[in-house]
Amino acid sequence: MTTAPISDVDLFADDVLLDPYPTYARLREFGPVVHLPTNGVYALTRYDTVRSALGDWETFSSAHGIGFNPMVNEALAGTSLASDPPAHTALRAALTENLSPRALRGLKAQIDAKADALVAELVESGSFEAIDGLARALPLEIVADLVGFTGKVRGHMLTWGKAANQVIGPLNQRTSDSFPIAGELYAWCAAVAKDDLAEGSIGRGIFEAEERGAIPPGSAGPIIHQYLAAGVENTVSAIGNIIALFAAHPDQLALVRKDLSLVPAAFNEVLRFWSPLNVWGRETTRDAEIEGVVIPAESRVAVLLGSGNRDPRHYADPDEFTVERNPVDHLALGYGVHGCAGQGLARLEAHAVIDSLARRVERFVVGPETRVPHNVTRSIDSLPVLEVVPA
Amino acid sequence: MKIVLDRPRCEGHGLCGEAAPSLMHLDDEGELVLDREEVTEADAAEAGAAVRVCPVAALRIA
Repeated sequence: MTTAPISDVDLFADDVLLDPYPTYARLREFGPVVHLPTNGVYALTRYDTVRSALGDWETFSSAHGIGFNPMVNEALAGTSLASDPPAHTALRAALTENLSPRALRGLKAQIDAKADALVAELVESGSFEAIDGLARALPLEIVADLVGFTGKVRGHMLTWGKAANQVIGPLNQRTSDSFPIAGELYAWCAAVAKDDLAEGSIGRGIFEAEERGAIPPGSAGPIIHQYLAAGVENTVSAIGNIIALFAAHPDQLALVRKDLSLVPAAFNEVLRFWSPLNVWGRETTRDAEIEGVVIPAESRVAVLLGSGNRDPRHYADPDEFTVERNPVDHLALGYGVHGCAGQGLARLEAHAVIDSLARRVERFVVGPETRVPHNVTRSIDSLPVLEVVPA
Repeated sequence: MKIVLDRPRCEGHGLCGEAAPSLMHLDDEGELVLDREEVTEADAAEAGAAVRVCPVAALRIA
């Protein structure tokens, strides 16, 4: 058994965050696990390593947090995100009771209609800002209505959600700048009461579940926090990526247009190709051996979801965007007991967008996209659609 | 060979039913139904695909 190879890569440097793929390729070649002293982590780089670690919560634990600084890990203590079975099981059940595909079945028609109305209006206008106009607009409206946010809180959702993810990073400038904003969300969720949320909303339902003892006392606020922190930023990223990738690959849009049954496959490929979340944390509970390399017990581990998704050991031509690949086993949503709890909702939104675009658009002409570095989420900040060729 | 479902862990994402339509499906309530728990060698590929695609690792083959 040997120690892991060492690299001076900083996973959270601006240039790596903006385009992590060349760095990921180098790290994968170093080995399945690479020690990064700059970040104080062992990085898991290859598909099989990432997938196995996500499936092995007993070794790669979330109980000491999934972030890369002690403050965020302390703030998340006691949530489903930062716990393991058995404590995790009840917290996860409370979180998913109103969020599972079962619970959301009735919403499909409504989400399809909202997405299609939005896409129809944008296509009609001929040119539009894709991120504000669609990628942000749809998840904001859907999550706000779902959770029952009203009034001025709706205006804070985007900034709060972005900050809540930003602080998962190490204690760099981005994290320091974001803690006060993430704190506003945290404080609001600690104080929010049933009557602050719209009647008939799922958010209010969570408080009612707390009242009747279906979920533990005090757990409603943190669940609302998770809905907002996880439910907006990552979906905004995914929908923005859908538009940008279809604009850059009109042949792939044409394939979906010819066969709408490819919609789910196309979304899987978007998530694989440009994962909204590239890195997530774990801590080893014991010495973990990976292909002869040892990660010592109580080490912080960076699980590189976005790197595993581009591993040529698992996906042929991983740097090609091909919707017919249908990578159902991609890592973008995690896997196992901590697998993305909101993936059912994300699929409803993304499938609705892809379906509507495929029926209404032959191709887009876009201007240059801009990106702003973010510690854990990779997304497009602005994308001008200059011309739409309607179907 | 047997397919084993961890019922409390299943959230009804339904990806398994798409991977193995002859072995399992979601019912009208969105609950997973295993149409056959005992599977033969002929079903092994389909069963394996269903296990692999479950996003919350609620299925296994015993």
